[in-house]
Amino acid sequence: MASSVWLRRAAVLSRALNWISTPKPVLSCISNNGLVFQTASYNPKPLRLSLREPYIPDKESESTPEWQKTARYDRKLYGRYGSASGIDPASLWPTPEELDKIIAEENEWYPTLEVMRQNIAAREKEETEKRLAKEKLITANMAKMPKMIADWRREKREAKVKLKEEKARRSKLLAEARERFGYNVDPRSPKFLEMVAEIEKEEKKKKKLLKRRQREEQATVLVTPPSASS
Amino acid sequence: MSVTKKTGGKAFEILQNLPRITLANLRPEPGSKQLRRGRGQHGGNRSGRGHKGERQRGNRPRLGFVGGSTPFYLAIPKYTYNEGHSRRPQYQPLTLKRLQYLIDLGRLDTTQPIDLTQLVNARGVTVQPLKRDYGVQLVDEGSDIFAAKINIEVQRASEGAIAAIERNGGVITTSYYDPISLGILIKPVPFFLRGQPIPRRMLPGEDMVPYYSDAENRGYLADLDKIQQARIALALKYGYALPNISKDELYHMLSMRKDVRQIFFGLAPGWLVNMHEKKILKPTDEKLLKYYNS
Repeated sequence: MASSVWLRRAAVLSRALNWISTPKPVLSCISNNGLVFQTASYNPKPLRLSLREPYIPDKESESTPEWQKTARYDRKLYGRYGSASGIDPASLWPTPEELDKIIAEENEWYPTLEVMRQNIAAREKEETEKRLAKEKLITANMAKMPKMIADWRREKREAKVKLKEEKARRSKLLAEARERFGYNVDPRSPKFLEMVAEIEKEEKKKKKLLKRRQREEQATVLVTPPSASS
Repeated sequence: MSVTKKTGGKAFEILQNLPRITLANLRPEPGSKQLRRGRGQHGGNRSGRGHKGERQRGNRPRLGFVGGSTPFYLAIPKYTYNEGHSRRPQYQPLTLKRLQYLIDLGRLDTTQPIDLTQLVNARGVTVQPLKRDYGVQLVDEGSDIFAAKINIEVQRASEGAIAAIERNGGVITTSYYDPISLGILIKPVPFFLRGQPIPRRMLPGEDMVPYYSDAENRGYLADLDKIQQARIALALKYGYALPNISKDELYHMLSMRKDVRQIFFGLAPGWLVNMHEKKILKPTDEKLLKYYNS
């Protein structure tokens, strides 16, 4: 099946190619081998016009319809019957006034090719500028992106750690209060707050002491090396 | 014609080579009438059109109309692909397969440039400017069997179709016709009977200028050198050897091209054709000439 289709197609192709490669025009009606080329030319509808007795309406008569007295109808008459219609061919073109009107209208409504191309170029330029500006902004912001992400992650982590520490400290304080008073203390009670303040004071003192000691140690460390070297 | 001794041999040979009679090449006898079931026939019944309404009267509403309520395409404007659908230019498709068929049957003459007039006269396409048709688009269906050297002018063409035409040594141009020029181009005889001078072809609108200025579309506003470059580029892309047209015997025909403002081959804007007297009238007034030649 497929092969037969292919063969037929090939035959069509070769025939078409033969047609083209013939030096003579394709239109030769009957070629040497008796093959008939049909050329179906345009087959127009018959024009139902009686060209022997053309109908030319009488412009003066009352009975002639108005539309047969117009310039448009005159044109049609000339188109049908030619000079037999008695129409002056010069009247078929627009008069100078009409032409001025046409030209004015075209100037107003139909831009020339150059103007249109300029408009298109201007619009395209504007669009590309807008697009490039947006792309520039996006690249600039994208360059900042890794640092911003890292910052955000760090902040998150720190907040988490802080929260954890706070929680641990609170539970520690509560445990201490429980140890001190022997019962579960309400964390809002003045007793507890007092205790917290006390503990904080103590811690501050401890810190101070620790700092002083550290400073002294450093001073001794700084003082001792020269003595050791000498 | 080979000489045969047999009686009736010539006629028989012709008959043998004539195409088979089909519905496509039959036509009514002269004088016969197309039968239609009239309104008053058979006692004035429904004439096969059913009972009442738009179906019977043949005035179906337009596409997308939902009986007076807000249509879907307006009620849900999310579907923007419907935007301006009633104003979009339409291009009737013409496949390369059909073009080859028309050429093979001799309905198109390849020794002359083919434009819309030839296509319409060959009954190859039907173009209705009043239904927003702006011409024909050449589609690449059948590009593998296409084998004719033609100079064709269409309104839109796909890349494959352009490649198929140029592979066979042909020339293709896409060009714009405003609706009035299009009406004249598809029906020249009724226009000539109107006794009007041939108008200037209008330029495309700003939205269509880029298409017709593009050499890749073989637009009629494009630069000829650029078109030549695009032809070579397309041959490289599709992998065929581009035939040299300038050494062709049909070079004159293949190089024929309409002016930007011209509607018919061989007829300038401003000329007036009289079919009855077989005359062409040309204006002599300088102002008219200046207008028509601009």
